[in-house]
Amino acid sequence: MVQSTASVILRDIRKSFGAMEVIKGIDLVVEAGEFCVFVGPSGCGKSTLLRLISGLEETTSGVIEIGGRDVTDAEPSARGIAMVFQSYALYPHLTVRDNIGFGLSLAKLPKDTIRAKVAAAAEALQLTPLLDRKPKALSGGQRQRVAIGRAIVRDPQVFLFDEPLSNLDAALRAQMRIELSDLHRKLGATMIYVTHDQVEAMTMADKIVVLNGGRIEQVGSPMELYNAPVSPFVAGFIGSPKMNLYDGKAAGEACATYGIRPEHLRLTADSPRWTGTVRHVERLGADTIVYLDVPGLGEMVVRADGEQFPRVGSSCGVAPLPGREFRFGPAA
Amino acid sequence: MKRRSPYPYWFVLPAAVVFVTLFLLPTVASFWFSLTRWDLFDAEFIGWDNYRQFFREPFLVQGLVNTLIYAFVTSGAKTVLGLLLAVLLTGGIWMQGFLRSVVFFPVLVSTIGVGITFAALMHPTKGVINLGLGLVGLHGPAWLSDPALALYSVALIDIWKGVGLATLIYIAGLAAISSEYYEASRIDGATRWQQFWRVTVPLVRPATVTVVTLSLISGLRSFDVIWATTRGGPGFSSDVLASVIYKQYQAGFYGLATAGNVILFLLITIIILPLTWWFNKREIDL
Amino acid sequence: MSLRRNMARQRNIGIVALIFASVIFILPFVYIFLMAVKTKQEAALFLFSWPQQWQFWQNLVDVVKTRNYMLLLAYFNSTVITVGAVAMLVIFGAMVGYVLQRRPSGWNRVIYGCILIGLMVPPAVVPTIWVLQGLGLFKSIYGMILIQVAYGLAFSVLLYRSFISTIPRDLDEAAIIDGATPWQVFFRVILPLLKPVTVTLIVVQSIAIFNDFTNPLYYLPGKENVTVQLTLFNFQSQFQSQFNLLFMNILLVTIPPLLVFIFFNRQIVAGMTAGAVKG
Repeated sequence: MVQSTASVILRDIRKSFGAMEVIKGIDLVVEAGEFCVFVGPSGCGKSTLLRLISGLEETTSGVIEIGGRDVTDAEPSARGIAMVFQSYALYPHLTVRDNIGFGLSLAKLPKDTIRAKVAAAAEALQLTPLLDRKPKALSGGQRQRVAIGRAIVRDPQVFLFDEPLSNLDAALRAQMRIELSDLHRKLGATMIYVTHDQVEAMTMADKIVVLNGGRIEQVGSPMELYNAPVSPFVAGFIGSPKMNLYDGKAAGEACATYGIRPEHLRLTADSPRWTGTVRHVERLGADTIVYLDVPGLGEMVVRADGEQFPRVGSSCGVAPLPGREFRFGPAA
Repeated sequence: MKRRSPYPYWFVLPAAVVFVTLFLLPTVASFWFSLTRWDLFDAEFIGWDNYRQFFREPFLVQGLVNTLIYAFVTSGAKTVLGLLLAVLLTGGIWMQGFLRSVVFFPVLVSTIGVGITFAALMHPTKGVINLGLGLVGLHGPAWLSDPALALYSVALIDIWKGVGLATLIYIAGLAAISSEYYEASRIDGATRWQQFWRVTVPLVRPATVTVVTLSLISGLRSFDVIWATTRGGPGFSSDVLASVIYKQYQAGFYGLATAGNVILFLLITIIILPLTWWFNKREIDL
Repeated sequence: MSLRRNMARQRNIGIVALIFASVIFILPFVYIFLMAVKTKQEAALFLFSWPQQWQFWQNLVDVVKTRNYMLLLAYFNSTVITVGAVAMLVIFGAMVGYVLQRRPSGWNRVIYGCILIGLMVPPAVVPTIWVLQGLGLFKSIYGMILIQVAYGLAFSVLLYRSFISTIPRDLDEAAIIDGATPWQVFFRVILPLLKPVTVTLIVVQSIAIFNDFTNPLYYLPGKENVTVQLTLFNFQSQFQSQFNLLFMNILLVTIPPLLVFIFFNRQIVAGMTAGAVKG
């Protein structure tokens, strides 16, 4: 089952709640068929932006186009979208079958059509044996798939996901990331996905939109954001463990902020750039994360290979890999 | 341009129409009609005459005083007995569930039925209560026909019928108190008695607020029990505002009856509103 | 050992409490039953005694036949009033509670004010009769139903509002995206989810309306419109010398709440204590 697909274009979108402006002018193009992830810390406006696209909230100003059609004032159901909620929002009094078919029955589609569509969606999501159960009798992952099924049967041009994996445990989350990516490949539909988890953003997105304080900080592919963050904010948000960020002057650089990723530092004894005291060591097997106290800079995190175990309390030299340092902004 | 809210105000409309026409409108109108001589068709403005008459006629004034006595006696008794019964019925005693049901059931029974039954039980010579007192050598009073006692006898019936609700609310309130407070105070060496006064009574306060408020409002408005047992008698000794209003209505004094209604309204307001305000203020101190 | 002694003590308190409660709370009901099955002569003695001659059926038939089967008419009227009013209280109350909980606005203060007034203020009876007469609803069953709705709304709205606050808003929004109109969101998604609180409301309000005496006394005078409680009250003078029949009537009035109580104990407790703990 291949879905129709459409681009989503936002032009100078603004949204205020009372006197509080939470979306401060956003221009964005999501291409047809793209998997676009909105990422940012809580309160950055990413969920609000998704709800504006869905039509659950009205824009204060600006234009939203889906598939070339201005939908700024259209009802949510008339926008060609489907949404998967963080809580899944499955109707507790309806069976899986009726949950998936709810929108179709509201649209007064013939019973046979509904039955066929529900069956097809259930088959694709391996929900067929569960069709007569109530949501209460499903596991977290199964509920997640029912929510997706409910979205699929509406043949939307755009899928909206609001932090859909945050209620799952770590193992299931990894599995669902793969399932969602598969689904995207299979359907080819446009997907807009909100998360605060940069791992989800990096692993699934074609395009990542980093939001901060109601504005777009940077748009780009995962590797663009990783390799060329435009600001310390993006740099600190993308990548794990977080990039080490220091005041430029303290780091002895002619810039406002100096940044270096933990994986771009190596422990070295000869001619180190910095020397610090080992405060804590995390052994992950393949890697070792070393936390150093560097005089004048503070904490520095180094991702060393799994064979290196500096002793806590010992002194360690560190050097950056050439060409991997980031310098943001002119010196103050 | 602006899309319609998914929670439209016309959802409120059916309820609003019924409530405004049959409750708010008569309430507002009562202020006007209480200032008139009125036969349901023509209303003649007579100023404060109805109120003047209300406070001049001794039996009407007695109705006002009786209302206050009745409300405070029943409310106080229901609050105290309700808390004691609730503590007893949450202690894990034998047949606890059954006992709770027994205490609560009278709440659900017809007030008229209860009134008639107690009128028989309280009969001065043939009533079961006085016969029972006679068995232990006591001479029971004329419960409902002694003017000095009638109001309190009716209050007693009201308490019997209503204490179950207070108990139920207190049981819910007690269930909301974490058992850790009792464990902590036990480790601190508190006796049962200290636990009751230092832990239970302060922490069950929200339930107390509900019980006091509910029972005061219903006590001030009380009519059924009185009407089913004494009809305000003997004389006017057990008349309360609600029965006075009904009597004036029956006699065709609609303006006067409505003035009684306004007085009852004001009485409830000036007792309940400050009480609620005081309860809420104390809440913040806690 | 101390624990065991504690258990024994609990049991003793229980037995004492049971005896006490039986005397105070159960005996009046036993008395009603005993009086109801006695003969006229024996009932007139008012004694708490075992009937020398059982006359259950005879008394039942007699009381039902009184005044040309008035009691049957009364049960019919009371049932119509109760069912009609409770149905409206459920739908109207849930609709208001829903909008009140979901849509914060300046109007909410007005609605809360009305709820407070509705819970506290005694109805202004004579002006209400005046309004009912103006609408042609005085002495009519329909008028009585609407009165019960007006008086019960505040409680109904409060109960629904607090329950609706436990239903996640995501469900409404999912339905909106599925293309549901406000009407459909409410009747197909929200109302089915309100079932537990609706059962509570139906039980509690039914008992209240069925037992109501004051309002029919004022608003529903007349022979054709008698309700169960009015009939019982009127039979007080009818049965001056037939206390067996009077108590049979009380017994008949007591049985419906007893049955409801046995089957819906939990819902009644939930309704009666709603909001009591949070204040």
